[in-house]
Amino acid sequence: MKKFLVGLLFIGLAFLLLINFAELPEEKLITFSLSDYYIGFGLEQTGALNLVTAILYDYRGFDSLGESTVIFAAVSGIVLILSRKMLPVSSHGLSFIVKRTLGILTPFIALFSLYVITHGHLTPGGGFQGGVILAAISIIFSIVYGSAFDYKRYSPELKTTFETGGALVFIIIGGLGILFDGFFLDNLDFLTHSPGTLISAGSIPLINIGIGFKVGAGLAIVFYSMIQKTFGEEF
Amino acid sequence: MLHHLVFTVLFLLGLYTVIYKNNLIKMVIGLNIMEIAVFFWVIAVSDTGKSVPIYHLNKFAASFNDPVPQALTLTGIIIGASTTALLLTFIIELNKFADTIDSNKLEGLNE
Repeated sequence: MKKFLVGLLFIGLAFLLLINFAELPEEKLITFSLSDYYIGFGLEQTGALNLVTAILYDYRGFDSLGESTVIFAAVSGIVLILSRKMLPVSSHGLSFIVKRTLGILTPFIALFSLYVITHGHLTPGGGFQGGVILAAISIIFSIVYGSAFDYKRYSPELKTTFETGGALVFIIIGGLGILFDGFFLDNLDFLTHSPGTLISAGSIPLINIGIGFKVGAGLAIVFYSMIQKTFGEEF
Repeated sequence: MLHHLVFTVLFLLGLYTVIYKNNLIKMVIGLNIMEIAVFFWVIAVSDTGKSVPIYHLNKFAASFNDPVPQALTLTGIIIGASTTALLLTFIIELNKFADTIDSNKLEGLNE
């Protein structure tokens, strides 16, 4: 009976949602919206070809700072809860063939992640996306070569340095915006070359690099903390 | 419209998982399904069949899809990943202390 009632509630909820969707207007109600402004003036004001990046790191740069603070807080909480001992606890890794193959592949993964990070203002991608690919390298090391290898190559101290360093780069660039233009996180226009080149769009690529290393190190720390605690007693 | 239907199905599926399942990890998976339903809906609604909001170097296309929902969705994905990692951490610690991840078998929470 209880299941029946809850099922009825779900069907009612679905019905209400679909009725609500049917009421949505088909055409735009506003003649000139915020999106039109971004599309119309985004390129000439920021110099970034990728408008999503222009919004994230220029118009809404302060939101991205808050976002990276959320990642920082989450990583801090996870490390605080999980890692009482920062010792390398290792598995033996996978077979010889997998190790060799990933030994050849890993530089290309790193190159791709750096490409995604540094070309965030020109092509799809940016700091967050490239940082996740960067974290994948550390995860591959932990799984394929064993977490002791990961500990030796990228020690937790190095990861922590990258994490805080990325956040500091973001805040310092924001402070430089106050110094040169008068506003926090204002685009540093004197760095701008012609749009479409690698060194363009002012401070957006620099912020992207900071965020990329920060996210990559943060996710690597999260994975390392979890695997260490979970498999600690078995190996 | 198809994406409204897909959103409704996915969202209610996630809600069902959160309400009915007793395994805490399955609850987290349900939360993620609800999250992904919302992201999918925002992106699908903002897609008007125009090109991606990235200027091409040589030809400057005039009509783009709305870039604001894509930026918001990127923000949401990051927050979702952070909260998921934190929730899984809590579950790992809970499993260490209570030796179970079944929400019905957890003791000491009722009194």
